[in-house]
Amino acid sequence: MAGEIKQSRELFRILFHSSPIGAYIIQNGQFRLVNHQLAHISGYEESELTGKPSLSFVLTEDRDSVRENAIRMLKGECSVGYEFRIVTKRAKIKWVMETVAPVYYRRKRATLGSLIDVTERKQVEERLKQITAEMQRSNTELEQFAYVISHDLQEPLRMVSSYTQLLAKRYRNKLDSDADEFITYAVDGARRMQTLLHDLLDYSRVGTRGKPFSLVNCEHVVQQAVANLKIAIEENTASVSYDVLPTVMGDEGQLVQLFQNLVGNALKFRREEPPSVHISAQRRNNVVTFSVKDNGIGIDPRQSQSIFEIFRRLHTREEYPGTGMGLAICKKIVERHGGNISVQSRPGEGSTFHFSVDMGGGEAE
Amino acid sequence: MNNEIGERLMEILLVDDNPGDLRLAAEALKEVNVQARLHTAKDGMEAMAFLRRRGKYVNAPRPDLILLDLNMPRMNGRQVLAEIKEDSVLKHIPVVVLTGSRELDDMVKTYDLHANSYVTKPADFEQFIVMLNSITSFWLSVLGYQWRGVN
Repeated sequence: MAGEIKQSRELFRILFHSSPIGAYIIQNGQFRLVNHQLAHISGYEESELTGKPSLSFVLTEDRDSVRENAIRMLKGECSVGYEFRIVTKRAKIKWVMETVAPVYYRRKRATLGSLIDVTERKQVEERLKQITAEMQRSNTELEQFAYVISHDLQEPLRMVSSYTQLLAKRYRNKLDSDADEFITYAVDGARRMQTLLHDLLDYSRVGTRGKPFSLVNCEHVVQQAVANLKIAIEENTASVSYDVLPTVMGDEGQLVQLFQNLVGNALKFRREEPPSVHISAQRRNNVVTFSVKDNGIGIDPRQSQSIFEIFRRLHTREEYPGTGMGLAICKKIVERHGGNISVQSRPGEGSTFHFSVDMGGGEAE
Repeated sequence: MNNEIGERLMEILLVDDNPGDLRLAAEALKEVNVQARLHTAKDGMEAMAFLRRRGKYVNAPRPDLILLDLNMPRMNGRQVLAEIKEDSVLKHIPVVVLTGSRELDDMVKTYDLHANSYVTKPADFEQFIVMLNSITSFWLSVLGYQWRGVN
């Protein structure tokens, strides 16, 4: 029996001192026994630690929480280790995670503690937090920048376009033919810039002027988009159909714009035969994927990524008007809703746009 | 339809800090159906001096219609609007907010201040003429009716 106790003590001693985890026994608030690893983490000698109050090397601000957490864990109210900062002998601050358990040591109540150094993970977490915050800030700034630029440039541009138009109105055919041509180009340039700024403003508004999310019935959304496109649908003798569509969390106005842009594109990039658009939805876990399928001219698969970039156009202005902003706006709306947008297509065989909406509400609000 | 108020011209006060806009409105007014005389003020302070007939404006006519820009130095359009609508004499003059801003917020705020309507300045000169024509014709018909009512 005595031999067994001796053996188990020996086993404990070896385990205790060779452990890669800082381990210690505390009695009456003081270290009674510490291992090599704790000495290594704290930078003190084992002999320097023994007999010292265990809280003395905890950062002053963290002492109260350490005390509270230790009491809770000793009572069995929580089992997950808690984190706090210690000050090493060289006055360096380290993050550690500790667990404690009530034990008997030399026949008296004691606390067996163990801790690991989590400084590196904490630093990575902290850096990640910083980077995320920085990225969010620069994103917001960029959106604000695009907004201000497009908004404030409209005033002076309105002067340019109004006065070139006034020039054209008053002086066309009164100067020579060169002058008429120059005026025509100036008027056209100003008008195009106006449209570009207008679309850029719409694009930046997705982020800066979005509404808070609410429950949105997607059938109503599609009906609204179709109503907004009524004239274009009639002019193209197009048909738009849709399946039963779910209710999602989102910004209703933006979802209308999204469907309207996609259906509008299907009408614009049509073939000879009357355009036919079908909208369907599939729900999987918390994500709804919508599909907008058309029978239009289709898209070269090599362009299936770039079409979502701002001001990206695949045709000349003479073939198809527009600034190339529609799909970029779609992408931004989908991303605000926590989803992705993509296209499946072959030239001449129509396109299907897929986009997802996170039912949990994509935007962190 | 008669295009004058009784025997006289329609008096319009245009308040805008941009000389280009003032001139543009003058040019566009030449093309509208309503016979109007345009008075201009380059900011809110000047507009209020005109309306209260202070200083060089001692003989200024009471405008039949005010076209008001929002963003101006010294005293902006919202302040002008608030002051006009608090003045028992001036508050009957219709104020059309004419601005470059397409912000919904701006529109809501000016209606809160009792603007009679809110119009975004069109970038297209022809549309600008169409717009001015509708505004002046509409208010002429309203004012003409009032005029007959008074007589």
